[in-house]
Amino acid sequence: MIHLTSVSKQYTADSVGLADVDLSIEAGEFVSIVGQSGTGKTTLIKLLIAEEKPTSGQIEIGGWDISRIRQSDVPLLRRQIGVIFQDFKLLPKKTVRENVAFALQVAGEPHKRIKDIVPRVLEIVGLGPKMERYPHQLSGGEQQRVVIARSLVHRPKIIVADEPTGNLDSINTQEIMEILKKINEFGTTIVLVTHNRDIVNQLRKRVVVLQDGKIISDERHGKYHLSATAV
Amino acid sequence: MYSFLRIIRFALQDIARNIGLSFMTIFVLVLMLLSVNTLLFIRLVTTEATTSIRDQIDVSIYLSLEATADEIDEVYTYIASLPEVTQATFFSQEEVLDNFRTLYHDNENILASLEELTENPLGATIVVKTKDPADYVTVIEELSIPEYETIVESKTFTDTQGAIQKIDVITTNVERFSFALTAFFAIIAFLIIFNTIRVAIYTQRIEISIKKLVGATNWFVRGPYVIESVVFSVFSVGIAISMVYISTGFLDQYLGVILGDPQFLTNYYFLHILSLAGIQFGIVFFLTLISSLLAMRRYLRT
Repeated sequence: MIHLTSVSKQYTADSVGLADVDLSIEAGEFVSIVGQSGTGKTTLIKLLIAEEKPTSGQIEIGGWDISRIRQSDVPLLRRQIGVIFQDFKLLPKKTVRENVAFALQVAGEPHKRIKDIVPRVLEIVGLGPKMERYPHQLSGGEQQRVVIARSLVHRPKIIVADEPTGNLDSINTQEIMEILKKINEFGTTIVLVTHNRDIVNQLRKRVVVLQDGKIISDERHGKYHLSATAV
Repeated sequence: MYSFLRIIRFALQDIARNIGLSFMTIFVLVLMLLSVNTLLFIRLVTTEATTSIRDQIDVSIYLSLEATADEIDEVYTYIASLPEVTQATFFSQEEVLDNFRTLYHDNENILASLEELTENPLGATIVVKTKDPADYVTVIEELSIPEYETIVESKTFTDTQGAIQKIDVITTNVERFSFALTAFFAIIAFLIIFNTIRVAIYTQRIEISIKKLVGATNWFVRGPYVIESVVFSVFSVGIAISMVYISTGFLDQYLGVILGDPQFLTNYYFLHILSLAGIQFGIVFFLTLISSLLAMRRYLRT
């Protein structure tokens, strides 16, 4: 599903985002990427959604080499990947329903299909009764559920979540993780970047540890630790 | 088709949901258009005033009492054939006397003096108008030939030469000033519009990046701003033209006295309203569109 081959990202001579990273993530996997700040986690996310291009190496997503992706193809790639951010990134002047619908509208989906599917997805994340509210009228946990609904609505094969629980309390964190696990159970590949030790340990799924832009540990059923134990 | 309709809907939603910003943008555009229209007023009125003064300038060629009908006819034909002359009007001795009497109808002394005379003391006159006040010099020179010395008694041009030269200087200066003012206003207008739109786009930069992250193409992001430019242009031009049209009625009360036409500005605006609105819409739309595309460019890179 996702294959990184000798991928490096160098910003300046002494600033390395990723250094010669090889990583393969198969369809349906739930992979947690952990590491201290500045170890290359966000760089990895930016490369996966083509916000940045690698300095060298190859990135393949679903058989599509996106290492040298054309600018005009970037929207097509992003419509196939659901992205969840710590700071939500919701459109403040659009309602919950409109925010979720927007992901389908950009892809040119017909109005009828959008009208059918958006309320259903919002029901799944428990926001059916609040679909006409604006983001600022929701709690942090609710806003993150809107983001999940938006990332789910076009049925992506991959969801990339960058610190999705970073701004949430423990109860909301648990709710969001339960939703992500559910999505994964239905076959969607999830790449989770997090600092949260508890959620990684509870998941008991694959854990990849990054340090100084390199993978220092990759465990099939791992726990959160920041020292090399297995590669 | 879906995308186009959505873009229109998004644009209208953006305008309504950012009503403060939309109002501010339209307000600034209206102010800019009012400035441009004021400039247009100034040009129009000064041009009309100088044209009106130019029209009032003419040269009277007084013919000798001894001049025969054939000689008068020859001079008249010659003057009328000059390329600089737009109009040559002949007044016979009788007509000149009648005009003189009308002019001094309330001056008993002059009228009594005329009665004393047994013969008409006034010769026939040819009143000449030219394309340009500067052409009067040419006409006078053309008549200053030995053959016409005994026929032409005098020419009044020397009396008005100074006035004509002054009008010429004023007209030229007004035109130069108007041109400089127009160029100055054009630069100011562009800067105002560019900065207004840039502020509007800056406040929406995060939204633009979010739209890009969700998979919107550049044109799907730009589209609503293009439609918003159309809406802002329509509203600002509509408001500005309406305000200008209303103010013409008020200004005409004062300008009518100077220009001799009590509805000069109103008539001008009524006759040219479509072209004025069209040109102003085109300029405002072009400027807002270019400004928004330039301001947005950096936020569309990610």
